[in-house]
Amino acid sequence: MKKLIIIFSALSLLLFIRPVLGLGANINSETATSVTTAQVDLTEDESVLDGAFDGIKKFYSYTGFANSTSGNVIMIIIGIIFIYLGIKFDYEPLLLIPIGAGVILGNIPFVAGNQTGIYETGSVLNYLYFGVVKGIYPPLIFLGIGAMTDFSSLIANPKLMLLGGAAQIGVFATFLGALYLGFNLPEAGAIGIIGGADGPTAIFLSSKLANGINIMPDGTTVKNLIGPIAIAAYSYMALVPVIQPPLMRMLISKKDRKIKMKPPRAVTQKEKMIFPVVALILTTFISPSALPLLGMLFFGNLLKESGRTERLADTARTKLIDIVTILLGVTVGASTQADIFITKDSMLIFGLGAISFVIATCGGLLFAKFMNLFLKEGNKINPLIGAAGVSAVPDSARVVHTEGLKSDPSNYLLMHAMAPNVSGVIGSAIAAGIILSFLG
Amino acid sequence: MIQLLINTDPISEGYVILITGLLIVFSALVILALFFNYGLPVMLYIYKIITKGKDKKISEIKVKGDSGFTGEISAVIGASVHMYLSEQHDIESGILTIKQVKKTYSPWSSKIYGIQNRL
Repeated sequence: MKKLIIIFSALSLLLFIRPVLGLGANINSETATSVTTAQVDLTEDESVLDGAFDGIKKFYSYTGFANSTSGNVIMIIIGIIFIYLGIKFDYEPLLLIPIGAGVILGNIPFVAGNQTGIYETGSVLNYLYFGVVKGIYPPLIFLGIGAMTDFSSLIANPKLMLLGGAAQIGVFATFLGALYLGFNLPEAGAIGIIGGADGPTAIFLSSKLANGINIMPDGTTVKNLIGPIAIAAYSYMALVPVIQPPLMRMLISKKDRKIKMKPPRAVTQKEKMIFPVVALILTTFISPSALPLLGMLFFGNLLKESGRTERLADTARTKLIDIVTILLGVTVGASTQADIFITKDSMLIFGLGAISFVIATCGGLLFAKFMNLFLKEGNKINPLIGAAGVSAVPDSARVVHTEGLKSDPSNYLLMHAMAPNVSGVIGSAIAAGIILSFLG
Repeated sequence: MIQLLINTDPISEGYVILITGLLIVFSALVILALFFNYGLPVMLYIYKIITKGKDKKISEIKVKGDSGFTGEISAVIGASVHMYLSEQHDIESGILTIKQVKKTYSPWSSKIYGIQNRL
């Protein structure tokens, strides 16, 4: 009995020490096995325990402790950081917490071949991941966004739509940057869309271009970059409150920040109903490849504004989008399996993502200043709202609002910032369509 | 297209996409903006002309029969509806009682086993 307890305690000690040493699992594996053989020598005379011990050893070889690599441990820590950021700082918790949980889920070490991992055909996670790989979830999310969004500030002031276009310079600049860093065209296109600051669009485009299945004209297969791109897009979207304010303060003078805009005119219900139909037709005629995204977005908006389908709109903006967000978050998180995720490419993508957010924000801000040159006094726009042109609905609009309040506590910009914000969504979807039609 | 992709250097292709892409995004949004700035008011105006007089659903309420109906009367009606909806305390019964909370017997929570001090 005593011996049994000693063996068990030795084993459990081993199990708990393992992850600590696990950071260099490959190097330590030899010492670990030598320890276990020593244990075997001790129990040689007890044949009954021998069998049990073999079982335990086999069991141990299947546990996460035996299979963990440094990559797994790092990714699990990252997952915990995501959850922490979501809870503590309230950075898009609806995204970061599912993704963080997914990161942990995807990086639990396992023995391959038992249909456990997300990349193994037939596993449950793989089936859920199907919606990401085939680009099914993003349009559904867009349906919900459409049913949530009020386009009236955009209809009231259509010229603000240009700001949403200006911020898309981030997409194309990043695309170019990725090309210079040696990514091939489809991969660079998928990376560029991070600058659109729109998670669903980024996933949609990367699932079409950089999915690890498509074959390039020169015979090579494109890399699977869905995981890194989605994580980069979502994490920078969550970090919008950190990235944007310094740029705003740097580029926009104190005087400009205090500009008060005219309150938007009241928009009639008829205009609101016409908007989704007309915008759907116009934008998809221009960029048909973005049909799944834009079609669903405006369809959702039509459900909301038609006044007859409140039930459908309500489901789309609450239950449906919640369900899809859960599945999307967890599977995108789980797709960061360390052996596939921790590569030089991912690091480059993260770097490019940060740059693209900066460029997009600057593009929007500077274009707003540029527009002000042509606008009459009293009709001027507050250049801060240019920053909301990167989509990241509605976070960037909120950041603009708080930044405006800081320089003038009576200046409420939220309503105005929503216009470039939603047009940023439309703009990035169009940009995705264009990139897809060029490179798909 | 494939031949073209092989033959051109990706960077120059990238610049082409950069410029055309930005142009297209901008032009799309400009068209949308122009439409909602100029096209929509015209459309709404035309719609108004077309449907003038035909719209039977929205018609003025005839005030002929309500000549004696003054603002005071409507104020009284409004006030009474408001009172009725907001001051529902009056309808409540004035009898205050302590509700008896009766727990159903369960041997799991029975006190007697604890008192007898044996299992």
